[in-house]
Amino acid sequence: MASDDIRALSEALAADPASLAFVPLGEALRRRGDLEVALRVALRGAERHGTRPDAHDLVARIAVDLGDLERAIVEWETVLRIDPAHAGARKGLGFICFQLGRLEEAASHLSVALSLSPGDGSLAAALQTVRDELAVREESSGRSTMQFSREAMAADPGGAAVRQRQTADPPARPTLGLAAVREQPDADAGALFDDLLEGQRSAAMLLDGDGLVLAGRYVSADGRDLAALIGAQLSGVSDEATRAMRHLGLGGWRQIVFETEAASVAMAPSRDGVLLVAAARPIPLGFVRRVLERALARAVEWLGGAA
Amino acid sequence: MSSVFSTLTESLIRHRGVLGAMVVGLDDGLIVESTLQIGVNGNAFAALTASLYRKARRSAAAAGFGATGFLELTAEQGRVCTAGGQELVLVVVCESRVNVGMLRVELLRAAEQLP
Repeated sequence: MASDDIRALSEALAADPASLAFVPLGEALRRRGDLEVALRVALRGAERHGTRPDAHDLVARIAVDLGDLERAIVEWETVLRIDPAHAGARKGLGFICFQLGRLEEAASHLSVALSLSPGDGSLAAALQTVRDELAVREESSGRSTMQFSREAMAADPGGAAVRQRQTADPPARPTLGLAAVREQPDADAGALFDDLLEGQRSAAMLLDGDGLVLAGRYVSADGRDLAALIGAQLSGVSDEATRAMRHLGLGGWRQIVFETEAASVAMAPSRDGVLLVAAARPIPLGFVRRVLERALARAVEWLGGAA
Repeated sequence: MSSVFSTLTESLIRHRGVLGAMVVGLDDGLIVESTLQIGVNGNAFAALTASLYRKARRSAAAAGFGATGFLELTAEQGRVCTAGGQELVLVVVCESRVNVGMLRVELLRAAEQLP
C-alpha cells in the first residue's frame, strides 16, 4: 500500500475515530514495518471495537512481528471467544504453540484451521509436521541441539563452550512449512542450514513475509529455539530496507549486513521473506556473507524455485 | 562554509567508487555535513539510511545482540554504508565496485569522532 493510501486512511480515521479504517491502516503500517505505530492504531481500534475479531486478529499479527508471542496468544484467544471458527486465529495459535513446543495444542488448533480451510496446503503440511514431531517425541527421549547464545559468545570467545550439549539422537524439532523436504528424513526444516554452519558459532533461519520461521533455528544455551523471537525482531530491518529502496533509485536490495556488540548479522531477500544469518562477532564478516550466499542457494532449492 | 565534520566526509569521498559521504542526525535523518557528487540525492539517502540504521539498532538490541556499529546495504545498483555514534551517523553512498573492506575500516575510524 502506498504512502498516499496510508495518509488517506489516517485522515479517514482522524475524521471518524469510530470508523473501521484502523484495520486496513494498521495492516498497511504493519506491512511497512512501522510496528509500534501499527500496534497503537490496532490497540485503539480493538479497544473501541472490542467485539470485532478482525481488530484482535490485527493486534495479534502485529504482536507476532514484534516478537510478543504472549500478547499474540491472548489476542487470538480473544478472537476465538468471539468467533470460534476464525481460521486465521487457529492458524496463528497453531504456529505459536508449535514454536513454543506445545505440540498437542498446536495440532489441535491446526486441525480445526484445516477443517475450516481445507484447501490451504500450508496448513495440511504444518499439521503433518506437528504430528510427525509428536510421533518423534514419543519415540525418542533425547535430541541434539546446537548451542548458541549471546552469553556463550561473550563468555567464550574461543568457542569451546558453544555447541556443548549434543546427544546421539536426531536434530531438534523442525519448524513449520516444510512440506518440500518432509520425505527426506535427514533434511528437516530446522536443520536445513546446519551443515553450512559446521564448526562455527552461527545460526541461520528462513523467515516468511510475516517474520515467521520457515526453516532453520537459533538455539540458546539452555536449549530453547529462539528463532521465532530473533526472526520477528530482525525481519523488520528488511521491511525497512524494502521501503527505502523504493526511493533511492538503487534497484532492489540484495543484502544487508550489520555488526553489533555480540554478533554479525547478514540478511537477504528470499521470495516473500528473508534469509537471516547471525554469527558470533569474532567470526569475520566476510565469512558471514559467504554463509548467507550459500544458505540462500539452499533456501531457493528448498523452496523449489527462484528466490 | 565547512563544519567540524567536513574533513570526515572529504576523506571518505576520496575512496574509489564513493559517490557521497554525509554526517546525518540519527533521530531526524537530516544532513549535518555532506560531500556529494552531482546527481546524488543526499536528502533521500540521509533520511532513509538513518531510518534503516535506527531500525537495525532497535532490532538488534531487542534481539539481545547489543549496540550496532557498521551497517552495509547492498542493492542492485550500489551500496550504502553506515556507522555512527549516539546522535550522528556517517552515511556513505557507493557504487557496487567499492572496496567495502577498506571503506568499513575508514568509516568505523571516522565514526569514533562522532558524538
